[in-house]
Amino acid sequence: MSKNGYLQIHDPLKPKGYAVGIDLGTTNSLVASVIQGKPRCLAADEGESNLLPSVVHYGKDGGVVVGARAKTLAAEHPTDTIVSVKRFMGRSPEDAETRKLGAYKFASGGKVVRFEVSGGQPVTPIEVSGEILRALKRRAESHFSGRVEQAVITVPAYFDDAQRQATKDAGRLAGLEVLRLLNEPTAAALAYGLDKGSQGTYAVYDLGGGTFDVSILKLVDGIFEVKSTGGDSALGGDDFDRAIAQRVLEAMGQSSPTPSLVAEVLAASRKAKEALTDAPEVELTVGSHRQALKRSDFEEWIRPFVQKTGVVCRRALKDAGVTASELDGVILVGGATRVPAVRRFVAEQFGREPLSDIDPDQVVALGAAVQADLLTNVDRQDEVLLLDVIPLSLGLETMGGLVEKLIQRNSTIPTAAAQIFTTFKDGQTGLDVHVLQGERELVEDCRSLARFTLSGIPPMPAGMARVEVRFQVDADGILAVTAKEQSTGTTQSITVKPSHGLTDEEIETMLLDSIDHAEDDVQVRQLREQRVEAERVLTEASRQLGEHGELLAEGERAPIEAAMAKVREVAQGNDHHALKEAIHALDEQCKPFVERVMNQALTKVVAGHSVEEF
Amino acid sequence: MKCWNCEKDTQGRPFCPDCGKIAARPPGASHFDVFGLPRTYDVDVAALERQYRELSLKLHPDRFAQADARERRLSLEQTTALNEASKTLKDPTKRAFYLLKLHGVDLEREDAGAQKDMPLEFLEEVMELREALDEAMEAKDVERARKMATDVETRRKAALQEAVDTLRTLEKGPPVESSVKKASHALGRVRYFTRFLEQVETFEEEMLS
Ligand SMILES: Nc1ncnc2c1ncn2[C@@H]1O[C@H](COP(=O)(O)OP(=O)(O)O)[C@@H](O)[C@H]1O
Ligand SMILES: [Mg+2]
Ligand SMILES: [Zn+2]
Repeated sequence: MSKNGYLQIHDPLKPKGYAVGIDLGTTNSLVASVIQGKPRCLAADEGESNLLPSVVHYGKDGGVVVGARAKTLAAEHPTDTIVSVKRFMGRSPEDAETRKLGAYKFASGGKVVRFEVSGGQPVTPIEVSGEILRALKRRAESHFSGRVEQAVITVPAYFDDAQRQATKDAGRLAGLEVLRLLNEPTAAALAYGLDKGSQGTYAVYDLGGGTFDVSILKLVDGIFEVKSTGGDSALGGDDFDRAIAQRVLEAMGQSSPTPSLVAEVLAASRKAKEALTDAPEVELTVGSHRQALKRSDFEEWIRPFVQKTGVVCRRALKDAGVTASELDGVILVGGATRVPAVRRFVAEQFGREPLSDIDPDQVVALGAAVQADLLTNVDRQDEVLLLDVIPLSLGLETMGGLVEKLIQRNSTIPTAAAQIFTTFKDGQTGLDVHVLQGERELVEDCRSLARFTLSGIPPMPAGMARVEVRFQVDADGILAVTAKEQSTGTTQSITVKPSHGLTDEEIETMLLDSIDHAEDDVQVRQLREQRVEAERVLTEASRQLGEHGELLAEGERAPIEAAMAKVREVAQGNDHHALKEAIHALDEQCKPFVERVMNQALTKVVAGHSVEEF
Repeated sequence: MKCWNCEKDTQGRPFCPDCGKIAARPPGASHFDVFGLPRTYDVDVAALERQYRELSLKLHPDRFAQADARERRLSLEQTTALNEASKTLKDPTKRAFYLLKLHGVDLEREDAGAQKDMPLEFLEEVMELREALDEAMEAKDVERARKMATDVETRRKAALQEAVDTLRTLEKGPPVESSVKKASHALGRVRYFTRFLEQVETFEEEMLS
């Protein structure tokens, strides 16, 4: 139990602590804040990277590890280590995106995706994302040595209602008040705009790990007005990795690879892809398999994905009512825009060289920090304002499985619309309402957000009862639905929870659980981290002893094994300082031996090369 | 409207003139009222956009992020109304439909009686266009569909102009039943032509992809 107990009494005078901006990415996440008037990304430690890999590892003892350390555990514990969790936010188990190549073990049943992990119950994407947010919150708190309770969290502009709702729930789970969900391209523009005080019309092209967004924005007199937005919430650099991985698995003759192999091949493919950004040809290695990859082949494989972004760009321009030549600039965001073929394509599409002066990894988080500051800092209230849009149309199912749109895509939010329903049978007391999001005409081609029955309509002849159903979309792009029977004036308010989301009660339970587990207890966390480290070091030591036993010097094995036993023993206890020391001792003990192993490996590589080269 | 805070009259303004707090939206306020404009077809769009930006800066929920629940709700309601009003009045076609609605005919509603009340010539025109487009689509003839679209676009513009002229005459005097009907028929055609053009567009996109 936490020190403060389960419940905290709300005190309006209590200062809210610091406000931060968070880029909750598919691949990497960042936290930033405005410090002395300038947005800055916060690193875990001085001199360390400010990117937190969006990877969460669930250990056998129920411990949770987030970030770079979790990433190192992915190859060995593929299904206990969740990568790219953002792809699953607000998605159902049947979604096409859920079925793409990946090393996950899904729990069966239920409307929500759940991952089977060791050390406890299956976890939902909301909980996994909650862990990432919590790690970022802690990072910011240790930076400020103070509480952080409010955050602006970014989402892909093309996220639908279910995905937004899931992100907001994850924030709540991490103990954050989500001031605003901010669209990623808008955040990027905000980071650029404030630096340059620019006016004009800009396109933001954001290709990340798992999502693609394009937004057209107009900046006038301090107002950022999003004119249109488009995208694909299942398209990104991960698809490039899979395109490589599929060829590699084929070349290896692996038609039904294990999760472990899939994870390994995907990681190697990503590395190769990133290397191809700087080199025309690279070699990929997985175990003993080696394969040469040419940039030209890679560009051929990813062409369909890149072209898909072109279709989206053209539609966004059209929706905004501008042509490419009328733009004042194009801003590149996201790691996957480093791929030369993507850059070339963007330059071609928009007929100009894109801007990328702000680090594309940081720009979204910096913009989010600016927005958090604008929302909490009274002195800045008159500077700038963002006017964003809803990315996908909202509608209702009508006769024959068709969708009638009530709110068109690219409407400025907040926005609302109402529709009158009438009964078609005498004495009918209920009406079925099915809320959908998407651009297509048929119900089955749109995302089902909610289905509910309006009940309690007073019995009347057919067509007499008139029920007004009202959609209200707030500034986060999240929908609320209310219904009112007009002849009697009875109002029914329904909170629409997306069909693939969690109920408020489920969130509440998770919230209590997480408080119960007192993750915030630093002692416990450090012990868990050290235990993970212990496991890693022990595995590594056993492997080296097994594979290179012949390199051991006389009398070297016994002290190493003693040091290993010591680590195992201390790991059972609760003292993380002692454990850290035991790990360090083992490390020292192994050093001369490991150096010999490394030297031998190096000699082999050099020898190998000289054979090839002469 | 009575101010929720100081109980003085808000005079239909977005903020209470007396205490400066954000006010509730007066019931029944029109899109024109949001901007304090007269109910006329001719609107200075550039001025409207400027005013929209000024009002947004003051009313948007981002300005009330740290305010209490009531003020946040009022900000949401007012900004929603502001966005709706701006979208409607900026667009020449939407503006015409809205003025007609203020005259009592709502063509946006699916079950509207006015839909069924169109003259016979119009129904014949619809049948003819429908058949021709079906043929073009069956033959996968984008070129023919595009030509039809150009022709329909001309008809749409003419119908809108007719509607606007009629709406302008209605501004001058007391409501005249026959004029409202004339505007309603013209906009009924506009509505049909717009849908027709959307269909051609969808067809073109399908053929291209
Ligand atoms: N140098 C590079 N060349 C090619 N792709 C890269 C490079 N650096 C990063 N990426 C890719 O960018 C993607 C991550 O981009 P990022 O913007 O961090 O994503 P997200 O916002 O989804 O977390 C990954 O697919 C990664 O492999
Ligand atoms: Mg990103
Ligand atoms: Zn007042």
